[in-house]
Amino acid sequence: MTSSKNFSVTVRVWRQAGPQEPGKMVSYRVKDVSPDMSFLEMLDILNDELIRKGGSPIAFESDCREGICGCCGLVVNGDVHGPDEHSTVCQLHMRRFRDGDVITVEPWRVKAFPVLKDLVVDRSPLDRIIAAGGFISVNTGAAPDANAIPVDKARAEEAMDAAACIGCGACVASCPNGAAMLFTGAKISQLALLPQGAPERAERALNMVAAMDKQGFGNCTNEYECEAVCPKEVKVANIARMNREFLLANLFSKK
Amino acid sequence: MAASGLLLGGFMLVHLAENLLLFKGEAAYNGWVDLLLSNPATPLLEIGLLFVFVAHIITGVWVRVEDFLNAPRGYEARKWQGGRTVGSATMLYTAAAILAYLVYHMLTFRFVDHSMGFYQMVTSAFRSPVFTAIYIAGSAALALHLSHGMQSAFQTLGLNHPKYTPLIKAGGLLVALAMTGFALISLYYLAGLDLKAAEAGAQMVVIN
Repeated sequence: MTSSKNFSVTVRVWRQAGPQEPGKMVSYRVKDVSPDMSFLEMLDILNDELIRKGGSPIAFESDCREGICGCCGLVVNGDVHGPDEHSTVCQLHMRRFRDGDVITVEPWRVKAFPVLKDLVVDRSPLDRIIAAGGFISVNTGAAPDANAIPVDKARAEEAMDAAACIGCGACVASCPNGAAMLFTGAKISQLALLPQGAPERAERALNMVAAMDKQGFGNCTNEYECEAVCPKEVKVANIARMNREFLLANLFSKK
Repeated sequence: MAASGLLLGGFMLVHLAENLLLFKGEAAYNGWVDLLLSNPATPLLEIGLLFVFVAHIITGVWVRVEDFLNAPRGYEARKWQGGRTVGSATMLYTAAAILAYLVYHMLTFRFVDHSMGFYQMVTSAFRSPVFTAIYIAGSAALALHLSHGMQSAFQTLGLNHPKYTPLIKAGGLLVALAMTGFALISLYYLAGLDLKAAEAGAQMVVIN
């Protein structure tokens, strides 16, 4: 596939040497950018140049680069995960930009996710929410028959839609309040919807919401910005389900 | 915040219905007020309403203070992606405006001499352009507040369903829109349309 001409852009990037260091925006000129490059490949090329010149490369996270792992996450020109709707920033391509563009690149600016270096933030608060109850307990042994527990097709699909969450943290980064309720709602929902999740259902809701509150996230005021940016199109109906699970668990569980 | 908000929204609908009695005339309006005041349960309901209102403010302030402390901060550039609405983005401001209006409302209608009769008190107040302007601003703030608040309360209480959520959202907007009814009532009296209607009625009697 041939592409149109290569071009140059200016990237304004957040540089921060460490968690306790002050950060600032630094501008870099990136020449010979192919429109077929992904956004992260453009950063790779910039980093290559920075290393050759003896400088420190821009730290950013990425793993699969195919939009399914949840590692990457940048705010590009004010758009969480870049200007493409419902996609991760690794799926953004340079064809979205023009010659001479100035591109602002920032990390998630979430209080609960401190910046570790440059564009890398610490998202372990999300892991701590999962550790509090985002699992089911089963006996080990021979694998049970796959069809031993019938699951309604529509319900299975709904659980799968919630399970599509890759934990990238875009919902928190986009929320006016810094709430992690879309994430927690999805993680509670994916198990609450299935019979396998039923035995620990009430306990899970109580523990995961308590863990979420402990991490220093804001509260949901139903602005729905999270749903608008979520790369996996996780719906805010999952937040309502979490609220329901939490309310019922508080009313009826013995804990 | 959600449960108290729903109760207050319900109260506002009842309150609007009460005020629509103004159109039925002085006897109907004052008759309803007398019925309310003669009911021994009314002071209790009033205290209950005050309690709900205070609960709404306390929970609201609590939530928003936590949100303020934890909100993402320091983006060089930030674009909203279409989730927010004018109503949702201005909840704090409309809340403050409604509270300020409520104080004014209490000072002008609740804690005053009612000897002239409630119908006279209300309609004569509406004839003042300043009073009506403040009253309209109050109902506009209320309409904007409820445009987000009604559907938001259902979502917070866990009621989100593919069948009913579109109805809840539309219903919430309708309730918000209904709040402009307060403004229309005040404009009706400011323009003196009641007097004109009475005059026309009187002339008709003459013709007959």
